[in-house]
Amino acid sequence: MKIEVLYPEACYLYGDLMNIEYLRRSLPQAEIIRTPLRAPPAFLNGDVDLVCLCSMTERAQELVTAALRPHTKQIKALIDGGTIFLVTGNALEVFIRYIENEDGSRMEALGLFDLIAKRRMADRYNSLYLGKFGEIDIVGFKSQFTHTYGDGAAGLFETVRGAGRNPGVKPEGIRKNNFMATYVLGPLLILNPPFTRHIAGLLGAPERPLAFEAAAMDSYLLRLKEFSDPRRGFDY
Amino acid sequence: MVRLRFILALWLSKCARLALRLVRRNATYFPGFLALRLCPDFLRYVGKPEKIIAVTGSNGKTTVSNLLCDVLAGKGYRVLGNRLGSNVAAGIATSLLAGSTVFGKTQYEMAVLEVDERSSKRIYPFVKPDYLIITNLFRDSIMRNAHPQYIAGFIEEAVPETTKLILNADDLISSAICPENPRAHFGLGPMKTDVETCVNLINDVQICPVCCGELVYDYRRYHHIGKAHCRGCGFASPQSEYFAREIDTDAGTMTVADKNGEMSYRLLSGSVFNIYNMVTVIAALRELGLSHAEIRQGLDTASIVETRYNARKAGGVTIIMQMSKDKNALAGSRAFDYISGLPGRKEIILMMNCAHDQQHWSENTAWLYDCDFEFLNRETITRIVATGPRAKDYCLRLLLAGVPEEKIRCAFHELDAPDLLEYAEGSSICLLYGTDVLALVYKVQAKLEKLAQEASVQ
Repeated sequence: MKIEVLYPEACYLYGDLMNIEYLRRSLPQAEIIRTPLRAPPAFLNGDVDLVCLCSMTERAQELVTAALRPHTKQIKALIDGGTIFLVTGNALEVFIRYIENEDGSRMEALGLFDLIAKRRMADRYNSLYLGKFGEIDIVGFKSQFTHTYGDGAAGLFETVRGAGRNPGVKPEGIRKNNFMATYVLGPLLILNPPFTRHIAGLLGAPERPLAFEAAAMDSYLLRLKEFSDPRRGFDY
Repeated sequence: MVRLRFILALWLSKCARLALRLVRRNATYFPGFLALRLCPDFLRYVGKPEKIIAVTGSNGKTTVSNLLCDVLAGKGYRVLGNRLGSNVAAGIATSLLAGSTVFGKTQYEMAVLEVDERSSKRIYPFVKPDYLIITNLFRDSIMRNAHPQYIAGFIEEAVPETTKLILNADDLISSAICPENPRAHFGLGPMKTDVETCVNLINDVQICPVCCGELVYDYRRYHHIGKAHCRGCGFASPQSEYFAREIDTDAGTMTVADKNGEMSYRLLSGSVFNIYNMVTVIAALRELGLSHAEIRQGLDTASIVETRYNARKAGGVTIIMQMSKDKNALAGSRAFDYISGLPGRKEIILMMNCAHDQQHWSENTAWLYDCDFEFLNRETITRIVATGPRAKDYCLRLLLAGVPEEKIRCAFHELDAPDLLEYAEGSSICLLYGTDVLALVYKVQAKLEKLAQEASVQ
């Protein structure tokens, strides 16, 4: 089982990388490959089971997009072929058409999904998130300068409370086959053991207990109860 | 008309300040807030001292500002500061109106102003600093500050072209700000506690800012602070015009050298953060024209108020109070690193609880996974009590940091935490606290002291 973490020297914000550490602890048989910006991605060899990309700065979005652009066709083929991708925070935007700034300028992204993002650096959006992944309840946090617009992709989560891809819609993130991208940032997998179990199942380890699963479930159930309370404020 | 509006704002805000002070309030924010509401251009028109030194950055700006004020005032300068007050636009306006006559003319010859990084745009266009000291830029709150490059952007777009920057050469984020501005750098030479490989989760400068190649650190203090170079393009950390070497924390001395000489200084604190603060102050004072001898004389009588750390005996136990800013992974990492390095057996209460957040939403706990809880996985730390509404999250994070389960306790009610500790003779109890609920912190502290005294009697 191979898990590739793309560009951790540039994509390291908000605790997202701990998701990979949690997978490593939960799936000790997994081989973790950390690919730097200047190296060809391991997924080009076709034997990577899970590709991860984490939150990053706006400058890093440009670097990462440039690094991945030569491999756009291969990425599309992997997505179509069912390779698992876990993309968190603003890493999602690397895979859409473009990011538009306040001044109208654009950063062209990989164009794999027909969505666009609008970036407002003076208007950081902070909220809690409660959603559904099938029957699984998802809890988490959003903290971002952007929202994504358009109907060109299915959502990963269906929003119950908080914002979807933008505050006006319910679909959150992007899902196509096993490509999973979400604006829910930080320790998504640690916060959501049932979702992590689903990913472990996709990776062929459905029965193995997760690392500190009992403690993670305690924390998850408490947060789920809090977030389900209609009196709980969701915006920071 | 504008002048009239300014005078009206000045007088009313001066009256508001007087009234607040009569009822024993600090009045460091509201008068300036009022002035800016009545006259949005108030900062443009209010009288300013001839020389303005602004101090900004993630950590150390209060300490640096206070030391600068102390030394300069000791030299006989009439220095205006915002020591007691707010560092946002309203606070700066309050300081300036307090330091002006009824006609708005300043009564000071120099100002040392601590400025919040995010307030740069509202302040620097009107209060143009001759010198801007940037202590460092680190991560802070995810919600407010995002990442340090974002904060650097706030400063960069507001600094006047003529302002001379005094920058930390060991911080590749802040030292890169406004490359066209005149600048001087300060830095610290190698120390015995330095490392080459980053041991922290937060490491915000890993690639060369020029060619994006791998950065190699010749030495590293913590996180991205250190001296680095790029093997690919030759980029390197800037050279320090003011450079501290022979730093001996045991003897409490260091030597600071520049092109015109060098001087041995007594360290005001052994912590690396405060050594940086001292060198920052020395660099700024040298830029202002003071001699090393004058600076040393000034610093010899100065002290750093350790508001964030306090230790006192209760029975046979030492109760240590260590502030660790809420929702701030970097502050937590630094506090954990420091506490875990203290000698002897320690028990810890974690109380960085955003109680106010809990009243209207739920704390964003992503910062826990940027924070080095791994420092708490030491043999000398025998028990850790996680408290507050997020106690379960802390417990899980401690487990992931490798802390054995039998050492971890959970107390939703902070006042229950002292009951879960052992008060062994000669050990320390460390209360790591945020600033959100200080009243509750003091109650927990009092209970700790009471239980420690009782354990001692038994």
